Amino acid sequence: MRRSLPLLLVGAFGFAMLVQYFTPLPAGRAIYGRVLEWMQVIFAAGLVLGGFNYARTHLRKVGRPGGDRVYSALALAALILMLAAGFMGGIERGSLFLWLFDNVQVPLQQTVFSLLAFFVASAAFRGFRARSVEAALLLCVALLVMIGRIPVGEMMGIGLPESARWLVDVPAVAAKRGILIGIGLGSVAVALRVMLGIERAWLGGSR
Amino acid sequence: MTAIGIWMAAIGTLAIYSFLYRDNPIYRAAEQILVGLSVGYLLVITIKTTLVPKVATPILAGDIWGIAAAIWVLLMWTRILPRFGWLARLPLAVIVGAGAGLSIPAMLKARVLSQMGAMLRGQPGFDAWVGALGVISTLAYFYFTRPQKGAFKALARLGTWYLMIFFGATFGYTIMSRLSLLIGRTDFLLGTWLGLLP
Amino acid sequence: MSLATFDRRIIFGVIFLAVAAPLIVPIGLVSEVSPGTQQFYDLIEQLPEGSVIMLSFDCEASSWPEIGPVADALVRHAMRRRLKIIGTSFLSEGTALGYDLLTRLTRQTGMPYGADWIYLGFRPQYIAAMLGMGESIQTEFPEDYTGRPLDSLPLSRQVRTYADMALVVSIADDTMPQYWIEYAGGRYGVKIATGLSAVMVTTFTPYLDSRQLAAVIGGLKGAAEYERRLGIRGSGSRGMDAQSTAHLAIILLVIVGNVAYFAGRKKP
Repeated sequence: MRRSLPLLLVGAFGFAMLVQYFTPLPAGRAIYGRVLEWMQVIFAAGLVLGGFNYARTHLRKVGRPGGDRVYSALALAALILMLAAGFMGGIERGSLFLWLFDNVQVPLQQTVFSLLAFFVASAAFRGFRARSVEAALLLCVALLVMIGRIPVGEMMGIGLPESARWLVDVPAVAAKRGILIGIGLGSVAVALRVMLGIERAWLGGSR
Repeated sequence: MTAIGIWMAAIGTLAIYSFLYRDNPIYRAAEQILVGLSVGYLLVITIKTTLVPKVATPILAGDIWGIAAAIWVLLMWTRILPRFGWLARLPLAVIVGAGAGLSIPAMLKARVLSQMGAMLRGQPGFDAWVGALGVISTLAYFYFTRPQKGAFKALARLGTWYLMIFFGATFGYTIMSRLSLLIGRTDFLLGTWLGLLP
Repeated sequence: MSLATFDRRIIFGVIFLAVAAPLIVPIGLVSEVSPGTQQFYDLIEQLPEGSVIMLSFDCEASSWPEIGPVADALVRHAMRRRLKIIGTSFLSEGTALGYDLLTRLTRQTGMPYGADWIYLGFRPQYIAAMLGMGESIQTEFPEDYTGRPLDSLPLSRQVRTYADMALVVSIADDTMPQYWIEYAGGRYGVKIATGLSAVMVTTFTPYLDSRQLAAVIGGLKGAAEYERRLGIRGSGSRGMDAQSTAHLAIILLVIVGNVAYFAGRKKP
């Protein structure tokens, strides 16, 4: 029951949504609309569950002695502050919620990701080597695209932007197209396996 | 941005950038604050813009479908109870099953048929032949259920070169993208915060 | 100091200087408008006045320095063309970013909320939401972002489904446009364009070639080109000097690294 009922549901909902794509029946459309609503509500519930687990994990860490409890306390304080700001003060322009988002969350988030610029430069210097024909090809194309896509490359007047554009629009598209077709066919196979109950990894646990 | 906001943003930025020198408590504190704020933000937005209008409001209006939605939500939340946690598989089955069923026609149409059609369509010429050869050789490269030898191996090798062009172009664009993020933060620090920019 | 022991903090300093210097002392490099950006510009330019477009802010705050300028230029262009805008988002952080951008820019021109633009807000399960809007936007979003009943807003009575829209533009930093193409475009035939983070350009060029995407504009360079086409100077244009010097710095680092590597290999 703990596994058979979910497997029955996954097949029922899966085939219902697949069949309704091809049928113009009003009943099919009604079921379709209702299932779409449920998908969103369940997903939202999942997100809330994730937030609850996050808070519980850090609450446990705060209760345990050790150096990390300070960081967990900070994380919880930030969480509570944002929840209070959002639920008590609203989420419109001029609210504390948006102020915290604009002045604290966004700058921190953007800075964390801007670190990648430094690391990608460091990795390019240390690891980007033309050790083989394939690596040399990858390296040359990367450098050509980098210089072709900046004003300096345009000013050189030796066709760098056009060459870079051709590489992106023709051979790179061809390779990506092959990948897309392969992934598309593979995804259809996996979806069918899930609906037929052959693929069961999503069930999790053994019981 | 107000003056306090600018200073808060600048302090947070420098706290994160301190990691470039080495890992330190200030960086770790800023990181935890970021994650806490992000989770709080997500929860507020999700509850206010999805759960309230789609579950709470219908229930208050006496809509039976609101109650059905609430049942799915509660089943999902049984995950926190060790004895009844398996019930969360039921709403998961809805998402997984419905998602799988919806994806089949979407994937076939958008990723397979449309892309194959694009490959075959258009004026015959050098670019079209280069493109078609690229698609076939890339697919040959990923075909692992047949031994890659002889002409098939040569085709797969050609596919490798097409993939190297794709990865090289992607890498070039990736560097562009990451540098743009750094430009944004530097513009903020030097311009908005310190006022050094013209 | 060998390559293996080279202090990477020196490289960090080089990159920071390469970015900071041209911001402090601008060079004034100008971007040529590429065919892709021109195509995007023409797409918006050709829409009749009063057409409704949907802007979906499918991005995180982390990529906003790059695609924010694209979104900014697009909204300015749309306002210039007197198009009506419906905003939404399928990534949570994009919700507030898009709301902030639209409120700020529409306030400058006095574009009335409810009649000329509305902001639907966030939906977490994007596939279900994209398909739901194809059936009824009203059912999918009974309230707008601020909690107002959607049917109280005049624009929502004019736009019921994708059929009432001229275009959907996904401002994205990841694969969300793919889902727009597969679900909204594939099932309901809505025209889709995208403003992308540069890292995703090679992923979506096949869809442009197959005409599943009407236009693609990518990264800060794309924003700079779009701004040039519009005759404005925004953060996209300002960033091009720094983008150029930083690119050259990295190219130099890669060349130096390879020269040192091959020179080291030749030594006995």
